[in-house]
Amino acid sequence: MSISKKLVASLVASAATIAALSTPVYAQSIDELYAAAKTEGQLTTIALPHDWCGYGGVIEGFKAKYPGITVNELNPDAGSADEIEAIKANKDNKGPQAPDVIDVGLAFGPTSKADGLTQPYKVSTWAEIPDSVKDADGHWYGDYYGVMSFMVNKDLVKNVPGDWADLLKEEYKGQVALAGDPRASNQAILAVLAAGMANGGKPGKESGDAGLKYFADLNKAGNFVPVIGKSGTLAQGTTPIVAMWDYNALSARDTLAGNPPVEVVVPKSGVLAGVYVQAISAFAPHPNAAKLWMEYLYSDEGQIGWLKGYCHPARFAAMSAAGKIPADVLAKLPPAEAYNAAVFPTIEEQAANKEAVTKGWDATVGANVQ
Amino acid sequence: MTRLWSWGAFLIGAIFFALPLIGMTEFSLKMRRGVYSFDAYLKVLADPRFQETFSYSVLMALFTIVFGVLLVVPTAYWVRLKLPRARPFIEFITLLPLVIPAIVIVFGYIRLYNTSSWLPLTGTAVGTNILLMFGYATLSLPYMYRSVDTGLRTIDVATLTEAAQSLGAGWATILGRVILPNVLVAVLSGAFLTFAIVIGEFTMAALLDRPAFGPYLQVLGANRAYEPAALAVISFAITWACMGLIQLVTRFSKYTEAQR
Amino acid sequence: MSALPGGKPSSARTVISRLPLNWLGLAPFAVFAMLFLILPTMKIVLGAFQTPDGAFTLENIRGLNTDSIRSAYLVSIKLSVVTALLGCLIGFAMAAAAIFGGLPKWIRNPLLTFSGVASNFAGVPLAFAFLATLGPAGLITLWLRNSIGIDLRTMGFNLLSFWGLTITYLFFQIPLMILIITPALDGLKKEWKEAATVLGANGFQYWRMVALPILFPSLLGTFALLFANSFGAVATAFALTGPQLNIVPIKLFAQIRGDVLGDPHLGYALAFGMIVITGIANTIYIVLRTRSERWLK
Repeated sequence: MSISKKLVASLVASAATIAALSTPVYAQSIDELYAAAKTEGQLTTIALPHDWCGYGGVIEGFKAKYPGITVNELNPDAGSADEIEAIKANKDNKGPQAPDVIDVGLAFGPTSKADGLTQPYKVSTWAEIPDSVKDADGHWYGDYYGVMSFMVNKDLVKNVPGDWADLLKEEYKGQVALAGDPRASNQAILAVLAAGMANGGKPGKESGDAGLKYFADLNKAGNFVPVIGKSGTLAQGTTPIVAMWDYNALSARDTLAGNPPVEVVVPKSGVLAGVYVQAISAFAPHPNAAKLWMEYLYSDEGQIGWLKGYCHPARFAAMSAAGKIPADVLAKLPPAEAYNAAVFPTIEEQAANKEAVTKGWDATVGANVQ
Repeated sequence: MTRLWSWGAFLIGAIFFALPLIGMTEFSLKMRRGVYSFDAYLKVLADPRFQETFSYSVLMALFTIVFGVLLVVPTAYWVRLKLPRARPFIEFITLLPLVIPAIVIVFGYIRLYNTSSWLPLTGTAVGTNILLMFGYATLSLPYMYRSVDTGLRTIDVATLTEAAQSLGAGWATILGRVILPNVLVAVLSGAFLTFAIVIGEFTMAALLDRPAFGPYLQVLGANRAYEPAALAVISFAITWACMGLIQLVTRFSKYTEAQR
Repeated sequence: MSALPGGKPSSARTVISRLPLNWLGLAPFAVFAMLFLILPTMKIVLGAFQTPDGAFTLENIRGLNTDSIRSAYLVSIKLSVVTALLGCLIGFAMAAAAIFGGLPKWIRNPLLTFSGVASNFAGVPLAFAFLATLGPAGLITLWLRNSIGIDLRTMGFNLLSFWGLTITYLFFQIPLMILIITPALDGLKKEWKEAATVLGANGFQYWRMVALPILFPSLLGTFALLFANSFGAVATAFALTGPQLNIVPIKLFAQIRGDVLGDPHLGYALAFGMIVITGIANTIYIVLRTRSERWLK
């Protein structure tokens, strides 16, 4: 009798050990996490501009909810590759230059996991994050998405364009720009993908080629302005129409406050969704603060914070079904129908598109060395 | 006749430099719809971090200038005097910071001098400040060296040194009281260039996590239209004023009396 | 008794004991350069020859031999030579005007301090300033078109082109030239001009036969600096003609910094190529300078 009890006890113990060893840390109680984070005292973030997805408000909300943890913000200008490099360079550095958490483009999730740069963690609301945008082991998880849209300066553009095809018209001569360099910037490369999709190409190499052809035509017609479009150049008049993520366009519209008046248009065809992912650095100097931050981001409060910055958070579908989204926040977003047609290209499709665009841009659209 | 050409060259140059500044200033005044106003400027100057970060950067700039002078003047002097064959190599090295992106240099610093290395500079605020100063000195090395070298070229270094030595001067005296005053104009040019570089520098300060003016400009201007233009005008004006101050201070120092 | 510079060693032993001492004078600079310039950037040199797994390879260097990258190097070199040349000429003219041209004395100091600020006014703010003034929707462009009827575009002026970028680069190249050449111009003694006049030379002859030969090494050195300065400049080009112009720093940044997956090792190879080209340019400069200095001591 005692032998079987011991057997049962040891089986239970080994099962528990196996369970504990094989699964990543599920959310400990938030209070325990908070206490541990407070001992660490600091969270180091990187590449979080305050105007991007309302991160300014999100960070303030975190600081208010969890006093005793300072938020050390590094390099808001960083691109996804800079964030990865920052983790690699700070492998042995526990100083304030080492980022704890990163927010990078979808394609960087699997590669950073493969390079051993991330540590797994599944937040308490893990189940509500769609499977297609998270890593099964918990190394990276989608945070928000937006769709490619046009930001239009209404002072200088009388007829607001409704679709990619409209931009080819005579009236938009010298007015259309991208928000980045398509040889380097995720935003610009996906804009080319979106244009390609609108012209019938399937996401991947086809959309890359079709998008390049579209921009070549745009350039030949004289409608394309080869300047990187930002809210400054839009207001000043050099780039009255810019293709950028809707959340960037909407928050820029708010900051400009009507000077000039701006309209943000989601094109009727070729609606492309771009996803970003969160991850915790494998070498994070403050791992508990990092986990607390993730818990905050994926809590209702954090997700609504992103929504206030016009980004659609990962739990959007689940939260709106449960009625957790305040009506006033919902009202400020562009109409939901625009998002119904949104296409989420897979990582492989994005890679194929990126290959076609970065290699083909100079040859097709042309470096005008006069 | 010469004067006509001079005025012509000068005025055309002045117009070329003034135009873009006028365009930018005009745009920065347009924040309020329909009228010219200083709204963008008020917004920028109201921020308390503007003063903090600007004073930090000014202090760093002054330290960098002093360090740069102490490093470059004796080196350029020594090379010119004793090691003319080393000149091509030294000059090549001083040109490197221009073609190597600052982001590569600073990631190199983080790898080499982090908390687990033999020289854990990033572990403390003071250590990181020192590391940042070395980074700034590296960035301004091309300009400082070229400036001082050009200045040394115009004086007869060998004769001056011989004369000073025959009067019993040691190396420190030669450098400090004979050579430096004679190249002060060149050193000043190098100092101006260093100052401007440090005030505007972004990458190193941001990645080493120091509260400098460059990162502050970025944080403020990222997605806005009018504030960045106003900031550019303000920092242009203030940097110009600071250089004017440096200029005034040296004018009243005894070193420049020989020049006048 | 301390050694006189340039003096002959009196014995073999003093030769040996003096040589290391001379090189010791370079020690502070060497240590600084090694610790804070060369070691941190060894990653570039090593990375250019490594695969992502760390094995040695020449593949990255071979990868530089594509049409797109070759033309990027050519455009970069062309841009750098043109801006350096024009920067030297115009900067020299302005500096000479301020110092010798009979302009009022009070112009000199503001000119130098302005040059100090302007020499570092580059990147996004500079690009924006030019766009706001001379761009397709710029203040001056519109004013010229609406008030006077001059359309810059039809006259062939386009800011968003190679020449437009050159003009923008000159905004920081010219002040750099002014700042560095002014001490050299100061060094031209008045007595030389007077002596030349006494011997019957006019202004032009003085410049051609006295002043310019003396200044030539400094001019060459500053040209080399301006070349490297322009060669490495990326932020301005990016902000002004981003998706259009194909220059090496932009390609470099696309591999190292872009927020799509780049190939950092290709980026390091590109940077290595830039270092090599700077080395070649520097060698040319040294050769020319040595020849021009032969008549000096």
